[in-house]
Amino acid sequence: MSVRRETVGVRREKGLAIGLLLFGGFLSIAMTAAAQEEDLATVSAALAPRAEVLIIARCSVCHSPDLVAQQRLPRARWEATVEKMKHWGAEISKDEADVLVRYLSARYHPGAPDHLPPLESEVRQAEPFTQDSVAEGPVTGVAARGAGIFEHNCQACHGTNAIGGHGPKLAKNPILKHEDLFWETVLHGRGPMPAWGSVLSHQEIADVHAWLSTR
Amino acid sequence: MTLSRRVLLERLLQGLGVAAIVNRHVPVVQAAGEELARNESGPLTIRVTRPFDAETPVREFRPFLTPNHRFFVRSHFGPPPPDAISEANWTLRVGGLVERSQEFRLKDLRQMEVVTITAVVQCSGNGRAFHRPKVPGVQWERGAVGNAEWTGVRLRDLLAKAGVQASARHVQLQGADRPVVASVPLFIRSIPLEKALHPDTVLAYEMNGRPLPLLHGAPLRVITPGWMADSCMKWLTEITVQAEESKGYYMQTAYRMPAIPVEPGAAASGKSIPVEAMVVKSLIAAPQEGETVKSGPVTIQGMAWSGEAKVVKVEVSLDEGKTWEPARLVGEDRPYAWRQWQLIWKAKTAGTFTILCRATDARGEQQPAMTPWNPSGFLWNGWDRVSVTVTA
Repeated sequence: MSVRRETVGVRREKGLAIGLLLFGGFLSIAMTAAAQEEDLATVSAALAPRAEVLIIARCSVCHSPDLVAQQRLPRARWEATVEKMKHWGAEISKDEADVLVRYLSARYHPGAPDHLPPLESEVRQAEPFTQDSVAEGPVTGVAARGAGIFEHNCQACHGTNAIGGHGPKLAKNPILKHEDLFWETVLHGRGPMPAWGSVLSHQEIADVHAWLSTR
Repeated sequence: MTLSRRVLLERLLQGLGVAAIVNRHVPVVQAAGEELARNESGPLTIRVTRPFDAETPVREFRPFLTPNHRFFVRSHFGPPPPDAISEANWTLRVGGLVERSQEFRLKDLRQMEVVTITAVVQCSGNGRAFHRPKVPGVQWERGAVGNAEWTGVRLRDLLAKAGVQASARHVQLQGADRPVVASVPLFIRSIPLEKALHPDTVLAYEMNGRPLPLLHGAPLRVITPGWMADSCMKWLTEITVQAEESKGYYMQTAYRMPAIPVEPGAAASGKSIPVEAMVVKSLIAAPQEGETVKSGPVTIQGMAWSGEAKVVKVEVSLDEGKTWEPARLVGEDRPYAWRQWQLIWKAKTAGTFTILCRATDARGEQQPAMTPWNPSGFLWNGWDRVSVTVTA
């Protein structure tokens, strides 16, 4: 009898323990999911200033960023996509590719809503990092430095030695003599050309201008 | 060489497809482009600003023919520079496995027998946004499709002038559009010789009675009636007859479906086949999603089409597909065009209702509730769905 009673008691305890375990399990799954959601938001907010600049500088050479923002993909697909774009000629270093994949899979993951809230204000604050140099007045460009900056940022559209490609020829282009128009175009973009104000510093733009003037 | 200011401006604008149809003046173009991108009530819903990809709001599908300025726009690289396709510079070369390579100017094509065909042109990825899990690519919803009158010459008449060799099996098509970065693969596609020689496959220089617009492939594009638009090469400049399917990304990797359906979410692997014929499909053009209608008779209308068969039946359900009521097929009945349909719904009670529609073609193919998932999200043809509110 006593043995049997004990057995029942053990069973009850087991049942209770299993119940608690199950409940705890559900709770922890729910908590993990919420924490992951929060983690993703934290990751994307932290990476946004760098990643958004990369998207403008590297991806929007070929397509506007709206194509990126409408995707909702798991990390493996983002990795494959960034790899494909590198293979096709996007100038992305290993380190930049890593930032892009982490950012894109945190912000544009399959569970993300169709309409995402706008990016945190940090990005907008990060954008005009060239404002200080405006206050400092005009900068003097160094042609020798401009060659490399041009190659890395402008050559894809404007061609080797600025002889033109998909974008116009810049060597001996009259726009070089109209500095205000040149700066306006580079800083804010025009037509298919993206804005570079958040990517290149004023010093770098001046360097590119100086180099172009020697072509 | 220095560029004239006008040439410079034009070149700056060439990537922005919309520029060509709006204005050549830069500040105006910029403003208009931004305005269009934000304006949901504009002629098109923009999916990608550059290269310009935009779909037609479904409410615009009530007319039988879709007007040129409302017709969906899709390309991989945007239109070529206008001078590359100007009448003075443009030529079409026909070569490869032919007896005599040919070169045609527009005036040569205008000497040839003229054909006009009404045909649906639909992006292979139309409806991609509805696949679950989501797939990469432009997230087209319902409007990457249109029905237009295409006027031009038969592709087979050009091939006859060149003389197709016995070993020919495929015809490669290439346009004048080019990627920004030279390392991006060119958009090159091929169609099987039988489709190229079909009397209804045309090279169109007019769209709805007007010269083909730049965004739609001026001066000449391919129309493969009944097939998805991945074969309808725009800005056509090169036709190459060959023994094999074209090589390269856009024929061997993109625009393909798994030969055997894969599990949702699985990566593309194994044997694949090119996206070719359209599948049976229908849309509800009115009422619109979210519209409020008064109780009483409500006209539900839309259109239906299929690849190479006639639409024989369109049905509407107001109970999530438990029961279906046949709609009346109305209007023009032309092969390859879409067929309009309507049904008078007697909305008696106030509340929120979901209207579903599905079409069936002459081969017995019927629209499924959901299209089987595929890695690139092609050929979506799930039941169309619109929610409306009925007020007393």
